[in-house]
Amino acid sequence: MAGVGSGYDLSTTTFSPEGRVFQLEYANKAVELSGTVVGVVCRDAVVLAVENVLPHRFVVSGTLRRVHTVDRHVAIAVGGMGPDGRHLVARARSEAENYRAVYGEAIPARVLADRVAGYAHLYSLYWHVRPFGCTAVIGAWDAVVGAVLYAVEPDGSVYKYRAYAHGKGRTAVRTELDKVRWAERERAEAMREVAGVVERSRDVVKDKPYELEMVVVGERGVERIDRFTAAESGGERSGGGDD
Amino acid sequence: MHTTEPIVTGASVLGIQCVDGVVLGCDTLASYGSLARFQRVRRIVQPGADWVLGGGGEYSDLQEVARLLETMVTREYCQEDGVVRAPRAVHRYLARVMYQRRSRLDPLFNSLVLAGRGRFLGVVDMYGTAFESHVVATGFGSLLALPLLRKAWRPDMRMEEGAACVEHCLRVLFYRDCRALSSVQLARVPAEGAIEVSEPYELGELQWHVAQTVA
Amino acid sequence: MDRPLSHSSFLPPLFSSAPHPLSPPHSVPHPSAAPSVNAAERPARWSPYQDNGGTVVALAGRDYAIVAADTRFSVSFSIPTREFTKITQLTDRVVLASAGMGADRQYLHKMLHTRLAMYRHQHQRDMSLPAAAQMLSNTLYSRRFFPIYAFNVLGGIDSATGEGFVYGYDAIGSHEQLKVVCSGSGQAIVQPVLDQQFSGRQRYSVPDAERAPSLTLEQATALVRDAFASATERDIHTGDALEMWQITAAGVRQTRYELRKD
Repeated sequence: MAGVGSGYDLSTTTFSPEGRVFQLEYANKAVELSGTVVGVVCRDAVVLAVENVLPHRFVVSGTLRRVHTVDRHVAIAVGGMGPDGRHLVARARSEAENYRAVYGEAIPARVLADRVAGYAHLYSLYWHVRPFGCTAVIGAWDAVVGAVLYAVEPDGSVYKYRAYAHGKGRTAVRTELDKVRWAERERAEAMREVAGVVERSRDVVKDKPYELEMVVVGERGVERIDRFTAAESGGERSGGGDD
Repeated sequence: MHTTEPIVTGASVLGIQCVDGVVLGCDTLASYGSLARFQRVRRIVQPGADWVLGGGGEYSDLQEVARLLETMVTREYCQEDGVVRAPRAVHRYLARVMYQRRSRLDPLFNSLVLAGRGRFLGVVDMYGTAFESHVVATGFGSLLALPLLRKAWRPDMRMEEGAACVEHCLRVLFYRDCRALSSVQLARVPAEGAIEVSEPYELGELQWHVAQTVA
Repeated sequence: MDRPLSHSSFLPPLFSSAPHPLSPPHSVPHPSAAPSVNAAERPARWSPYQDNGGTVVALAGRDYAIVAADTRFSVSFSIPTREFTKITQLTDRVVLASAGMGADRQYLHKMLHTRLAMYRHQHQRDMSLPAAAQMLSNTLYSRRFFPIYAFNVLGGIDSATGEGFVYGYDAIGSHEQLKVVCSGSGQAIVQPVLDQQFSGRQRYSVPDAERAPSLTLEQATALVRDAFASATERDIHTGDALEMWQITAAGVRQTRYELRKD
């Protein structure tokens, strides 16, 4: 009982006297410790990237994805616990599907973000569940406003962003993201820069090998960038090989 | 509450298999009983890249089927593995859906025709009966057009010829079926390459002067 | 064909004869979904059943069995397709043919294949003929109060003795083991001929001791072909082509013969 939370950290149902819910802070910690997740809104698309740290060098490249397609115009990048993220993505997919069935058009990004956040929030209210140990970075092409980016945190909060970073390298990445006017960038340029930002945030000595997973959501829908051409990457892409 | 009789209905759908692909055709009318209620509706839909669906019978049920297929295609898209159901698989899926609904005594009141890449042409009815055939015609077309299509069909037939044949049958249906219209839509589904669904267009050069000589 | 079975008596009165509240005014029924020649003939109440006609035959000799069916698929006076198979192979030694409603047949065959696969995975061998016969009965009876409108004949050879047997069924699963059976729209035409020719009943020229089935596979094949050719002459729901499966210890062989297409 004499741990960090002094008994207030066992459940999300009780606040500490300082007004904190420790379980939510621990959930956030899970995101902070895992691979960096980045999202930026550029002129003609949203670029989502994840530093997908390989659990073992035997792992086949391209498996265990962290960026998932939710609908024709939405992708979600997951920072933190992958399995928790997949569950949240499954919920996002059914929300998107349901919205199409009811209104006959694509779900607006704001509505989807709100619904996913509301769902995540439910997991911070009851003793018999634990919060999601992940952040859902939602990149979407909205019919009205174009490229948009939202992020849903474990506590169920949601904000709209121009650029977003979380995970291991968040401090370095946020500093670098701050230097660029992303809204003026074209997608190809933004992709290259985001890849570079993630790569430079890494500790070459300590960090385990990774794959850079990148997805671009633009007017044509969700596009997975499997490999950069030499021109696109500027030779900056590193990480696991392709097979 | 079940659909016990169709209310707003589409009439015949015709299809013919050619060496280089499949041609599908139907008119663009949705009738309210004997009233030609909605005259520019699309009864051919293309939710996937590899196939099109043409449907007759209750129009709202047809839209429900189209929604089901769109959902199926969106789920495939989210899978991101590039794997999509082949036309034959979609055909079997539709058969199971229709059979389940009829077994719940809540049928989807449609005759469906599926045309797909790889020269696929299949029918599913409201009972869940599914079969593939060189020529298909549903609704009144099964009485008026099917014999014409069967007579015209040859194994070496090309799509231009098939389209002309389907158009001819649509014309015959317009002359004789009081629930048919001269505004029609054709879908050309080549064995390889992009599917082409035409905009609704009018059958030209209709000749009614012979009408007085016909019973 | 009129109403298929009298199963409507099992079913709750789901549909009233009153016009549908959304019915268009003064509407004349139109054969858009289910065509019939005379629109007035359309049943006031929708039926989940349809009779798609067709004739199926199974007969068995000392070391063979034959299962045969035509390929016509009819809906009242129309023939939507001339190539609709009624036969499915269940194992190396068992073949099933079903007349009746096309959709129910496809469902039944799919169901049986699933159960056969499960049996194979559990037992590491194929189902025997009597086992398949019993399973078919159970499958049909499982829908006792919403019958599968299929009239089945099952044929095969006993895996132990190699002797051929066939089974005949009604729609809800009651069955019997036989040497010759016919079902479907041509039953009344074909069954009596097979009784006389194949079972040897009333053939007074044949000594009592030889009344048991004694036809060779070739003779039986010819008999079945003639039976179908005859049925096709008078039954409008039978025709187009004959599919015949011959089952012997050597395996199954499928042959196809053309029938009248009018």
